[in-house]
Amino acid sequence: MNKYSNSTSAAFKKAAFLWYGISKTEIPTTKNRLKSYRKAIFLVTILFLLGFTPNYGDTIVTGSIGEPRTLVPILASDSSSGTICSLIFNGLVKYDKDLNLTGDLAEKWEVSQDGLDITFYLRKGVLWHDGAPFTSKDVEFTYKSLIDPNVRTPYGGDFQMVKSLKVIDDYTLKVFYKEPFSPGLASWGMNIMPAHLLEKEDLNATKFARNPIGTGPYKFKLWKTGERVELVSNHDYFEGRPCIDGYIYRVIPDTATLFLELRAQAVDYTSLTPIQYRRQTETEFFKKNFQRFNFPSFGYTYMGYNLKDPKFKNVDVRRAINYAVNKEEIIKGVLLGLGRISTGPFIPESWAYNKDVLPLEYDPGKAKELLKNAGWSDSDGDGILEKDGIKFSFTVITNQGNDERKMTLEIIQRRLREVGIEVKIKIIEWSAFVSEFIDKRRFEAVLLGWGLSLDPDMYDIWHSSKTREGEFNFIGYSNKEVDRLLLEGRRTFNQEERKRIYHRIHEILYEDEPCLFLFVPDALPVLHNRFKGVEVAPSGIGYNFIKWFVPRSEQRYTR
Amino acid sequence: MNKLTIFGICIVGFFIIIAIFAPIFAPYNPGQIDIENILTAPTSSHIFGTDSLGRDLFSRMVYGTRISLMVGFIAVGIASLIGIALGAIAGYYGNWVDGIIMRFIDIMLCFPTFFLILAVIALLEPSIINIMMIIGATSWMGMARLMRAEILSLKERDFIYAERAIGASDFRIITRHLIPNAMAPVLVSITLGIAGAILVESSLSFLGIGVQPPTPSWGNILSEGKAVMGAGWWMMLFPGMAIFITVLGYNLLGEGIRERLLKS
Repeated sequence: MNKYSNSTSAAFKKAAFLWYGISKTEIPTTKNRLKSYRKAIFLVTILFLLGFTPNYGDTIVTGSIGEPRTLVPILASDSSSGTICSLIFNGLVKYDKDLNLTGDLAEKWEVSQDGLDITFYLRKGVLWHDGAPFTSKDVEFTYKSLIDPNVRTPYGGDFQMVKSLKVIDDYTLKVFYKEPFSPGLASWGMNIMPAHLLEKEDLNATKFARNPIGTGPYKFKLWKTGERVELVSNHDYFEGRPCIDGYIYRVIPDTATLFLELRAQAVDYTSLTPIQYRRQTETEFFKKNFQRFNFPSFGYTYMGYNLKDPKFKNVDVRRAINYAVNKEEIIKGVLLGLGRISTGPFIPESWAYNKDVLPLEYDPGKAKELLKNAGWSDSDGDGILEKDGIKFSFTVITNQGNDERKMTLEIIQRRLREVGIEVKIKIIEWSAFVSEFIDKRRFEAVLLGWGLSLDPDMYDIWHSSKTREGEFNFIGYSNKEVDRLLLEGRRTFNQEERKRIYHRIHEILYEDEPCLFLFVPDALPVLHNRFKGVEVAPSGIGYNFIKWFVPRSEQRYTR
Repeated sequence: MNKLTIFGICIVGFFIIIAIFAPIFAPYNPGQIDIENILTAPTSSHIFGTDSLGRDLFSRMVYGTRISLMVGFIAVGIASLIGIALGAIAGYYGNWVDGIIMRFIDIMLCFPTFFLILAVIALLEPSIINIMMIIGATSWMGMARLMRAEILSLKERDFIYAERAIGASDFRIITRHLIPNAMAPVLVSITLGIAGAILVESSLSFLGIGVQPPTPSWGNILSEGKAVMGAGWWMMLFPGMAIFITVLGYNLLGEGIRERLLKS
């Protein structure tokens, strides 16, 4: 699922919860593998010596700059909401640590030869947190909500492809597709909602959004607006009771304060900014008390244009902006080298990423030339270009609390000023940013990041039909060939064929420049040392979250 | 004159000179990004060090002086215009005019000013002009009260009766005779108000909703410093000191003027 990410390094949240992944990002070397086997054997031995007593207990405190917006999973479009929902709810399928699809609420499934229908066999004996049994009725209800035009969900696209869903019995259901749909199976990673609680509710305004009931490893306890969300472990979880008893999601809308809380050990798990990673955590204190991780994140940062704005209608103008911005400089100056240039909507490790698409070199001369040919010239000598009496000046909005985005904008601002474009920066608090500006299309340009899903299908972001309020194509991109390829990509199962299709989409998007692709930042999660059992896998570190534990002697929060 | 007052005058004068001649004092362009020198500690070439984009902190501080003082002066200018006008009208006309204006002042004083400013900024856009106007529009009440009190006593004096006798208009009496004679205590309030406005601007910029980047102001340099706390002490020390010393200067000057008034 794609999510807005409100922090350049927020991607650890995606790494943390499986269904966010995009591709193998770190191939374990034999040595690493050997090491992890050894560790595993060691752990098993320890467990044996302890007489198999799992170390239940303790609480993990996660710190984040973003407040969740809603806990109705099919409406959750930001990474904070997504992180919490993924602990409370389950999908039918999920990705395992090596990014293969595996069963979650579905025990197994069968895909027909022609790829047109999938039969799911659901796990029996799964209970909702309120004690009601989970059945195929819930899946049917979730599906119906996803395709209900009155529900403002950004995830409807994948489910519009379903012709019908047939409940065979309480634990078996069959999904028929209109045509072959390759991301179909993965799309059932969507979190399933309880029919018995929501059937008569208006999902857009239900109280459930702040008091959710799910099937997941953690149960909802409380949500204090602007402060924290608390979850407690679900002892009856079908994969076994999670080792860590409590989960607290603290909202601290400022990275500096968040860092101080981390240093005071009042926060156990968060992501570092590049400056914090490079300059502030190299101390003995940090090495002793925290474990730091560093792997490519599943997302990219970009500057999107409001393509309805006449200033950005001309592709040459957009390309000129690309030429005028030095991406290397941003990576070096803002990310301190902890990231890479991106040229398209996939991360460089993905098979969908077209390595032949090369980033445009920084070339202000070419930028000026393109702008001149597009009719922009500085007629009154103030250093800013004009066309038909209108100055080339636009405002970029971004969210408060993310200094990397602010700094990126300051560099862009400076570079664009050199070619005669005036950029104004406006920083807005996250909730208002999404609901008042993004959803309502009230912006000229926006600096934002996308968290990506494993499947390269990007229908929801780039298809010209996905421009309603709350949907993801808020920049208003429309290209007939991309529309066609997006559809073709979802109809094709053959990996090589799909590769060809997505490589072409990548090419077109870089030529069309609907937005300025900037960089893929590294995820820099940091975790308190008392948490054990954490391993880096291609999917990040969070895939085995329910198996993380704190040895009894080191537990800090007891109830 | 009191030694402290002279000290205050020196501080105020010093910063005003820096603000006026900022381009001469600043060794670098305050927006000059230099990614090779991010967060370097003070050295001979960057005497205050550099910030998280490698910009020279001293130059940014110098230009920040301009912004901070400008916000201070203009905000208080707006406040004194409103305050003096309303205070004079209330004091001169008395009766129901006075009643309405004074009750309005009472209402305005009920709002916690800083939160009122926060709310208004959320509705409008954060920009220097908006900030100056909002600070001005929420800090005139004290001046209005002072002005009214002065005018209440002045308007009973003989020279005002004389003016009336020769048929001067109300406007002329208020602007030519009453306000100039009542200015002294208001001046104290203005001086102290500048210090207050500088603090409010710094607080807003510190919270990230004041002066927007890349314009440097002491408050947003301080705010950037907070993000790199522990990796760049100079980012917090210098703007913090500048705010502290300036506010001290205006307070000393204000106190000095007040003392002189009491003596005379």
